Amino acid sequence: MNGKKGAAARGKAGAAQLAREAQRRPMFRRRKVCKFCADKIDDINYKDVKLLMPFVPERAKVLPRRISGTCARHQRKLRTAIMRARQLALIPYTTE
Amino acid sequence: MSRKYELVYVVSPDATDEQVADVHTQIESIVQRMNGQLEKTENWGRRKLAYEIGRHKEGTYVLEVINGDGDLMKEIDRRLKVIDQVIRHLVVRVDEEQAVVERTRTRRTETSRRRRIARGLPPDRQPGEGQRGEPDDDRDDRFDIGGEELR
Repeated sequence: MNGKKGAAARGKAGAAQLAREAQRRPMFRRRKVCKFCADKIDDINYKDVKLLMPFVPERAKVLPRRISGTCARHQRKLRTAIMRARQLALIPYTTE
Repeated sequence: MSRKYELVYVVSPDATDEQVADVHTQIESIVQRMNGQLEKTENWGRRKLAYEIGRHKEGTYVLEVINGDGDLMKEIDRRLKVIDQVIRHLVVRVDEEQAVVERTRTRRTETSRRRRIARGLPPDRQPGEGQRGEPDDDRDDRFDIGGEELR
């Protein structure tokens, strides 16, 4: 937070310096783990709205893998489940 | 060749309980006529739809698990399209998926048991063991959903 404020005060050059700093010492980010692998959820079921809802953010799109950290295999299953749930109006296609 | 299918259909909210039951009996008769087997019926009751279908905002959901062949499901699908009271339906084949789930599950418990025995522990997890916050019981409450969770 503090570094950001300093960069704003220093203007353009400061921002560049900050970027260089970030490259040298990358921001700490927790490693993402696939929720379904971690919780050992084998079947991602379209009837299980409670399970699917966290992967359908506000605009009702499917949450991308790079954000949720879901593994490829489970993302595929998740997608099918969400699409099926949408057909039955359990999950919205979109929000207006 | 018998396969396992899941059928979910949404009946219009204007329909009376008798009409909902009538749809069910129609399906039942088709299943019986074509040598199928009705494994399970579940009425989820009235729920809010995630979006409007026609002019409806609510619907009565019914789930049926049916053993039978493709022709049977084709006939049911055709029939459901005809019935006006049914505003939406979905047929999904589940037997293969369930077999895969079953297989991974047994494989996982087997490996865990083998490893636990190798470590000199009892094969099954004891109560109170494991990470904090991990529930001991595997009660399946996933389908207990209230209508308010749907936006």
